Amino acid sequence: MAGQEDPVQREIHQDWANREYIEVITSSIKKITDFLNSFDMSCRSRLATLNEKLTALERRIEYIEARVTKGETLT
Amino acid sequence: MPLVKRNIDPRHLCHTALPRGIKNELECVTNISLANIIRQLSSLSKYAEDIFGELFNEAHSFSFRVNSLQERVDRLSVSVTQLDPKEEELSLQDITMRKAFRSSTIQDQQLFDRKTLPIPLQETYDVCEQPPPLNILTPYRDDGKEGLKFYTNPSYFFDLWKEKMLQDTEDKRKEKRKQKKNLDRPHEPEKVPRAPHDRRREWQKLAQGPELAEDDANLLHKHIEVANGPASHFETRPQAYVDHMDGSYSLTALPFSQMSELLTRAEERVLVRPHEPPPPPPMHGAGDVKPIPTCISSATGLIENRPQSPATGRTPVFVSPTPPPPPPPLPSALSTSSLRASMTSTPPPPVPPPPPPPSTALQAPAVPPPPAPLQIAPGVLHPAPPPIAPPLVQPSPPVARAAPVCETVPVHPLPQGEVQGLPPPPPPPPLPPPGLRPSSPVTVAALAHPPPGLHPAPAPAPGPHVPLMPPSPPSQVIPASEPKRHPSTLPVISDARSVLLEAIRKGIQLRKVEEQREQEAKHERIENDVATILSRRIAVEYSDSEDDSEFDEVDWLE
Repeated sequence: MAGQEDPVQREIHQDWANREYIEVITSSIKKITDFLNSFDMSCRSRLATLNEKLTALERRIEYIEARVTKGETLT
Repeated sequence: MPLVKRNIDPRHLCHTALPRGIKNELECVTNISLANIIRQLSSLSKYAEDIFGELFNEAHSFSFRVNSLQERVDRLSVSVTQLDPKEEELSLQDITMRKAFRSSTIQDQQLFDRKTLPIPLQETYDVCEQPPPLNILTPYRDDGKEGLKFYTNPSYFFDLWKEKMLQDTEDKRKEKRKQKKNLDRPHEPEKVPRAPHDRRREWQKLAQGPELAEDDANLLHKHIEVANGPASHFETRPQAYVDHMDGSYSLTALPFSQMSELLTRAEERVLVRPHEPPPPPPMHGAGDVKPIPTCISSATGLIENRPQSPATGRTPVFVSPTPPPPPPPLPSALSTSSLRASMTSTPPPPVPPPPPPPSTALQAPAVPPPPAPLQIAPGVLHPAPPPIAPPLVQPSPPVARAAPVCETVPVHPLPQGEVQGLPPPPPPPPLPPPGLRPSSPVTVAALAHPPPGLHPAPAPAPGPHVPLMPPSPPSQVIPASEPKRHPSTLPVISDARSVLLEAIRKGIQLRKVEEQREQEAKHERIENDVATILSRRIAVEYSDSEDDSEFDEVDWLE
């Protein structure tokens, strides 16, 4: 009994250790993926806000240019 | 359903079959799991690089825009400092000649196109099974379409929407043109003098007797109502109808009034469509009330669409809306019965014989409205033919006047007509044409023959071939029916009218071809441009008439 337990126990213990190791790695992989997704989403939202501001600025500048410039004809 | 954009490849770490012949399975599983972890990390790194790449591209484009904006702001600041309030605009020309300010409204379009598909989704799509190679059959197709388009077409909805938009713009333009035309036309009908019409109507009423006249009015109203809708209000309508009859001759006037006018001016208005099918509603006195109202409503819808297209002359256009509704109800009514079925074939040729019906209507003081009234009160129908619809008038007078005789006559042709498709119309029209055309409304007795005239004759005969066969049916009908009144004049006038009608139709066809060519040219131009043009067309649709007219002019000039 003791002889049987030892190698089996050792293997099982080793297996448990391996599994815990693998579990740690997979959970960190999941954290990385979560971080990447959230980073992607936040970046996209910020870039969209930037885009909005840029568009508004471009329109204002167009208007101001039209007001300021002289000699623009229909041609 | 949310689509997974990036899927880490080895989904399960240890869901693999273990190889045989291994002593330490737990260790094997551990090693397999670790190997899969490494693969997962590799796919993760690939997707991370993709994510950052997309973000970088977007930010990079923004940097370009920001830089250009910066330059513009610098230039503006310089120019603004140089601005002097002393330098004012000298002339008005500057104000008028200046280009109107229009901000560049860039709209997002084609968002979900194949080209905008992100790379990871494209890779997922590539992993999927390809559709069957139907495009190898394309060279064997007659219509020139790609074979795969029938199986799967990613641009299907866009094409559908594009077609719909183009069609809507065209429809709107046509509507506006028609409105402009209508504004010019409403005065024409007012010119028609009322006197002759009233006299005839009065004579008819007197001839039939006061009681019958009222019934005719009721019947007329019934027919009109049936045409407009299944409601039937005998008592309330006659007064209104009579008032209408004596009242204004606007476009919205009842067809009877227009018919009567046409009869008075039958000679002048050759453009009237002779081939309006005169359904023999009286034929089936005891008929199906239900099919008639439904048929009439449907027929009216059909006919309402037609009046606009064919008529080139003013009078036909004016007349067309009214005559078509009456004839269609009649033919539609026959749909249920064998006769009805043949009659319905006639409605497609929308040119009911307006002159004959009005003449017949005038002659028949008792106006037997559409077949519905005939069915409802066969006895009441006898008094007078319904002037409402020429076709109605045609069948009604014969039935009304000589019910037994007329019924027998039409019955015989009807069975024959069933085979041909338009039997019912020809039989009743032959009867009326001879009698009533000379327009002696007082002679009610003569009304035994349904409203005569070329119009009814041509209309009933051809049915589907109405436009092409107007001369033939009258000629056929005339000898067979032996018009009592003026048979000799009928063929001559009918030929002239048929020739005119054919010319009109050809003109309409030519116009349609031209329009089609223009549309094709526009389509070719549009295909190169993206949805911007479509969005512009949307703006055109919702813009006011002024913009549309300008757009139209531009298009025409192009």
